[in-house]
Amino acid sequence: MDALSSWDVIKNNLPWLLWGAWPDGPLGGLALTVVLAAGSALGSAVLGLALGILLAVLRGVPRHALLGTLAFLRAIPVLMLIFWVYFLLPICLHIDVPGVWSVMCALTLISAAYLAHAVYAGIEGISKGQWEAALATGLTHWQTLRLVILPQALRMMAPSFINQWVTLIKDTSLAYIVGVGELAMVTAQVSNRVMIYPAQLFLFAGVLYFALCQGVTWAGNRVAKTAWQS
Amino acid sequence: MTAIAWLDRPYLLLLGHGLAVTIVLAAVCVTLALALGFALALAGRHRWGLPLTHAYTAAFRNTPLLLQLFFWYFGAMALLPEAARVWLNSPHALWPTPETLAATLGLTLYTAAYFAEDIRAGLRGVPAGQWEAALAIGLRPAQAFRFVVLPQALRISAPALIGQIMNAVKNSSLTMAIGMAELSYTSRQVESATFKTFQAFGFATLGYVLLIVLIETGWQIWRRQRPVWTR
Repeated sequence: MDALSSWDVIKNNLPWLLWGAWPDGPLGGLALTVVLAAGSALGSAVLGLALGILLAVLRGVPRHALLGTLAFLRAIPVLMLIFWVYFLLPICLHIDVPGVWSVMCALTLISAAYLAHAVYAGIEGISKGQWEAALATGLTHWQTLRLVILPQALRMMAPSFINQWVTLIKDTSLAYIVGVGELAMVTAQVSNRVMIYPAQLFLFAGVLYFALCQGVTWAGNRVAKTAWQS
Repeated sequence: MTAIAWLDRPYLLLLGHGLAVTIVLAAVCVTLALALGFALALAGRHRWGLPLTHAYTAAFRNTPLLLQLFFWYFGAMALLPEAARVWLNSPHALWPTPETLAATLGLTLYTAAYFAEDIRAGLRGVPAGQWEAALAIGLRPAQAFRFVVLPQALRISAPALIGQIMNAVKNSSLTMAIGMAELSYTSRQVESATFKTFQAFGFATLGYVLLIVLIETGWQIWRRQRPVWTR
């Protein structure tokens, strides 16, 4: 019998590593990693923007309550939050929540907690004169924020958002802990099954993650650059 | 009322032990990572060392820590010669278990990549004039670095480094995936043994919050004790 090379092992398991059992079964592997990251990136962008604006407009007790909640989310490991969401979500909603949704929910929350501060800093970074000038031309507070402040603030936030997306891609691997078959999980599965070349298998998955993270950084910087060149 | 009853003593002891493991693991990894990160940052100031530092930080920061832990625990172990593997997996006095070794190595190498970037940013933040002035008053380059550039650089990187230390504490939770019996691991153990999910996860969650608060408080106290001009 010919000995299998490490490349043979990767090649034989490539579909499983890239998209799991799909289309005959659930999506998995790299494709699920991308779906998880994209879903929580979108969710956390919306939530982070909303919370950041709230930080800028709220005063007094509500603002402190929000700051406390954000600080709490930032102080606990993502893993603990995934445990909590995985456990609490079915109790609160009275339905069975699949692991994928729990993970996406947890990642959205934690990521939004980080982004909220970036958004707030971006809004605060715009000079008071911009507010005053916009209000003086007759815009309402909300119009000023939406049409004058946010477009300028978003430019400053771009690096934070890109950083956060890379972190999100890496954090999707934590879905492993609740048995969601994304890239890290299926790689460990394949490694356990074939019982050979574990180092090469994990290196291969590492290269995939690396390409994904670098790709997002590159594309994000490019879009940020071209969007504001005009 | 059993649902809200507090955990029995053996489970509390188990959780306490997990907390202790988390503290020791994080402390050891942060210490080692600071040394490595500093070495990487220094190497980054050299023409030949710069590509090396860049490659290191890019590789370790763009792949998940969990995957790196899997690599060190399942992968690197398989690359070792048979004799070394047998020796590592058999018990020795005062020698850590394979899980502890892989967890320490993985978390240290990952954290060092972030430390290196922050220390490098601090070194870059010191104006070139400081170097020139230090050399002009007759300090040797080593002295100029040690007494003039480094203290200012560390002051610039300190807030970022504190943030990374907090990250290291939180990231230590991932080592449960390779069987390290730290706080998250023991909370999951207690949860499945007692079904007291709130208490088990609550203990672990508060444990992490406590550690983060302690680091933040310690940093604030230390910062205030320094003379005003060094802040």
